[in-house]
Amino acid sequence: MIFELVRDTYLYRELIWALALKELRVRYKRSALGFCWALLNPLLMMIILTLVFGTMMRFSIDHYAIFLLSMLLPWTFFSQALAYGVESVVGNAELLKKVRVAKMVFPLSAVLANIINFLLSLLPLALLIVLLRFPLHWTWIYLPIPMVGLFLFTLGTCFFFATINVFFRDVSHIVQIILSAWFYLSPIIYSLEFIPHKYRFFFRLNPLLYVLNGFRLSIYYGLLPSPQSVAMSLACGIGAVIIGFGFFRRYQDSFVYYV
Amino acid sequence: MNGLAVQFTDVVQRFRLIHERPDTLREFVAGLHQRPKRTTYHDFEAVKHVSFQISHGARVGIIGRNGSGKSTLLKIIAGVYKPSAGQVKVFGSIAPLIELGAGFHHELTGRENIVINGLLLGLSKRQIRGLEQQIIDFAEIGEFIDAPVKQYSSGMYMRVAFAVATAVDPDILLVDEILAVGDAGFRAKCFDRIASFHERGKTIILVSHDSGQIREFCDRVLLLHRGELIADTSPEEALARYDELTAHSHVLVAPGPVVPGT
Repeated sequence: MIFELVRDTYLYRELIWALALKELRVRYKRSALGFCWALLNPLLMMIILTLVFGTMMRFSIDHYAIFLLSMLLPWTFFSQALAYGVESVVGNAELLKKVRVAKMVFPLSAVLANIINFLLSLLPLALLIVLLRFPLHWTWIYLPIPMVGLFLFTLGTCFFFATINVFFRDVSHIVQIILSAWFYLSPIIYSLEFIPHKYRFFFRLNPLLYVLNGFRLSIYYGLLPSPQSVAMSLACGIGAVIIGFGFFRRYQDSFVYYV
Repeated sequence: MNGLAVQFTDVVQRFRLIHERPDTLREFVAGLHQRPKRTTYHDFEAVKHVSFQISHGARVGIIGRNGSGKSTLLKIIAGVYKPSAGQVKVFGSIAPLIELGAGFHHELTGRENIVINGLLLGLSKRQIRGLEQQIIDFAEIGEFIDAPVKQYSSGMYMRVAFAVATAVDPDILLVDEILAVGDAGFRAKCFDRIASFHERGKTIILVSHDSGQIREFCDRVLLLHRGELIADTSPEEALARYDELTAHSHVLVAPGPVVPGT
């Protein structure tokens, strides 16, 4: 099954890439600054966050803006990719009904488009870190590892919800609710240390925790995660792909009758 | 190429017509504790136990009234539907001229759409680059090729779509009543291109209501009636039987279920 996913990804790599670029091109088309928005948008958001948390609301966490952004950016990728990915099969209904096409290209290109956006948003983050005279830790070079974990986890989740969305259209609404609960249950705006010991077990069930932690450790703390944590973040990603793609594959032949 | 192009063995395509399908999760959950209603769907066979063979280089027409299963048959050949029963074998590459311009994005330019459409039809980027100029020349829409497709007239849209779909150089060309597009000049050009496919030994499968087109382009015709293959014969004979069918029942298939794609 995973072999099939890898083979099809390779087979349709040009189509997947073209669809992802199409997605981005359409998103920024007809705006005067065009692709610059991919950089400007996160930069402006970061400036606002820095001002808010640097002057108005002060937390006991040093350089709170960077503490926050180190997890908020990967989270934003996850939630945006999911929003696009869930709609990706239904959104291409016209195509599915007319040409034979490998259906896996749609969720995959939706996630790919958003990961390009995410990678671009790391540039303004690095810029901001330099401007705030915060150290740009060498541990940034570790980032590809949590990125792979995050990419796989997002992909699996997209496959899963895109499948359900074909049969029940309200999934995209439910996903929004799940996402906002998930956001507050993940230690993004706070630190896990604020949580009393007896509840931490519950928070550790969050499959995104390990990946997000990898981002924060290397960007904010300048540390590397423990090998167990790395293993967990990759395992969660691979697990999500196996479940999500398995589910998708099981039902993909009947998509054409329901979209 | 010699041998078979398409082989259908006892193919059935069933559509589940659902009258009260829970379209939302709320309805689904609400329905869980109720006894499921028996009459919430019925299976409708759009194609019933159809068997035939088409060899390479043949020009086959498919005729039948609305809802007889013509387009469904074509979509099974194209691989859009996986038949509910029976066996379908297709040998060679396919270009579906089923609905032209599927996958065109209206915000993208003609040129950008050519690339995406070509990739969808199975070309590689390199092949598309090689064919791009030929496609643009065939479409004859001048500088509009770099304008977003949404600014195109429907004729221009079809020109580009036809040009891409036929540039693929398939072994089997599936044509579904699309030749009513464009002005007379462009239509003639499309027919010329289809004729040239035949000269190069390609297989052409054409769905049409136009008896003139059937006579001109087909050597053999399959006549479908309510999903059944009732004749597989010469164009003249099939058209005569088709006329008979339409003469006998002027009433269109009574509250006929709507089949996707017809």
